[in-house]
Amino acid sequence: MTSKLIVASALLSATLLPQCIQVTDGIEVDVAYQPAATPAQVRTDAGYSVQLHRALLAVGKVELIECDNFVRSLWRFVAPARARAHAFATPTSLGVPLVIDLMESAGTAQFAGTLRPPPGRYCGIRVLAMPADRDAEGLTDANLDMMQHSVLIEGQVEESGTGLWTPLLTRIWEVLQCEMWFDRPMVFDSPVLQNVSIRIDQRKWFNGIDFALEDSSAVQQRITENVRSSLRAVLPEPE
Amino acid sequence: MIAALFAPFGVAAEASACGTCAVGDPTLTVVGFEQPKSHRMRTSGTVRLRNDRIGEPHVDELRLAEQRLELAGAYSPTDRWALSVMMPLVHRLVSAVNLAEADIWAPGDLELRTRGVIWRDRKFAPRHLVSLIAGLEFPTSSIERDAQGVPLPLEFQAGTGSWDPIAGASYSMFSDPWSVYASSVAIFPTQGTADTRAGISFRQTALGQFQPWHFLAFQVGAELRLDQPGYIAGVVDPNTGGNITYATFGIIGLPHEKMLLHVTLAVPVIQRLSGHHEEGLAMTAGLVYDI
Repeated sequence: MTSKLIVASALLSATLLPQCIQVTDGIEVDVAYQPAATPAQVRTDAGYSVQLHRALLAVGKVELIECDNFVRSLWRFVAPARARAHAFATPTSLGVPLVIDLMESAGTAQFAGTLRPPPGRYCGIRVLAMPADRDAEGLTDANLDMMQHSVLIEGQVEESGTGLWTPLLTRIWEVLQCEMWFDRPMVFDSPVLQNVSIRIDQRKWFNGIDFALEDSSAVQQRITENVRSSLRAVLPEPE
Repeated sequence: MIAALFAPFGVAAEASACGTCAVGDPTLTVVGFEQPKSHRMRTSGTVRLRNDRIGEPHVDELRLAEQRLELAGAYSPTDRWALSVMMPLVHRLVSAVNLAEADIWAPGDLELRTRGVIWRDRKFAPRHLVSLIAGLEFPTSSIERDAQGVPLPLEFQAGTGSWDPIAGASYSMFSDPWSVYASSVAIFPTQGTADTRAGISFRQTALGQFQPWHFLAFQVGAELRLDQPGYIAGVVDPNTGGNITYATFGIIGLPHEKMLLHVTLAVPVIQRLSGHHEEGLAMTAGLVYDI
């Protein structure tokens, strides 16, 4: 009888044991966008003044770029291709869509998310600007048109010397791929928290454009290139 | 009769003290495989070790190393009926590709089973037994989540967290020194406490045992598991479902007339699991004590 009681007690005690969880963080990379503060008027290198009323950028994906790895590159070459959704999140990529309003961000950082990559060497980061999804963070009734645009710019341009203001409207529909390289590789071989800041300098978007001479398609093409080159990935200073 | 059976080996054993032979057959059996014998009571502690990998390597792969301690008790009110209760305690180490780890101790799902012998070829020391099995798993486990609050894959949970009826049948053949055990069991999970629903699982076991000495037996067998996909929050878990077959190799020893030790190694030989899911070697070691 005593033995039976012992068995019953042991089984009953086992059901009452609380669960106990200990979580150890692994390699984590926090990514944030850091737009420049938008001035009242942007002075271009060609002497024009641009006054912005709206400046919006929709980001669909952020992805860490591994440094060249011959074996892995070879494997990807011979391995069958895998189809992926356009904003699929993986440990090296964030598929969280985000609309950045450059008129309201006033130079403050916007957190994009946390990447959780495997150990390795990472040399850069790739950002895809693309029309926003319905559930994109930062999408409001006032900027619903970002569901059709990657970049939207509304403002006016003052011709140098004449003082005449002409309207400026740039709508970029295409997916913009921007690859940025770090000034040094990020090397991960143990759990660590790293930060990457993606700086956006919209003050450079209108450089190299002669608004008086170039037609709207040429202006749009130039702005597209400038948007790409205005993004820069910055790592914190090594301690 | 019992003494006669043991006489060739020079072992003195009283009928009342020998749990394995009180049923008229010296076959060494672990809990659940034995012949029911009126008022026979057995307890056991079993440790199960297994490894599991789910997800795409270098992308979203999770690795599991699990140690499971199962405390069980079995009681036979009559010669045709056995009841058993089993409570697992589970330790899991879940590792992600970014070296993050979750170290989890938790209770699994309490299991209650009953086995009724529906046919036997003779009353004393039957050589052939056909039994029906019924049972229920209780939702005593909880669904664990990762650091982001996302539930871990169902395969990595300590239990299903749901009321899961069990139904099946088994056949045992005892012909000293040989014995055979075969069982077909299906588990029918219901909706879990954390909006999870594991798929129906069918398990087929076939074991052959050779017992050259009364104190030692060798087992070889196969275990098939066929799973339907599982769901978390209404969304199918892509890495659940499919089938896997293990080849099993075991040893059962009788170091003491009331105590039985067993070790089994299970090697996955056919894996047709859905998605990215690979199971590794599994090992079971346990102790059975006849009260």
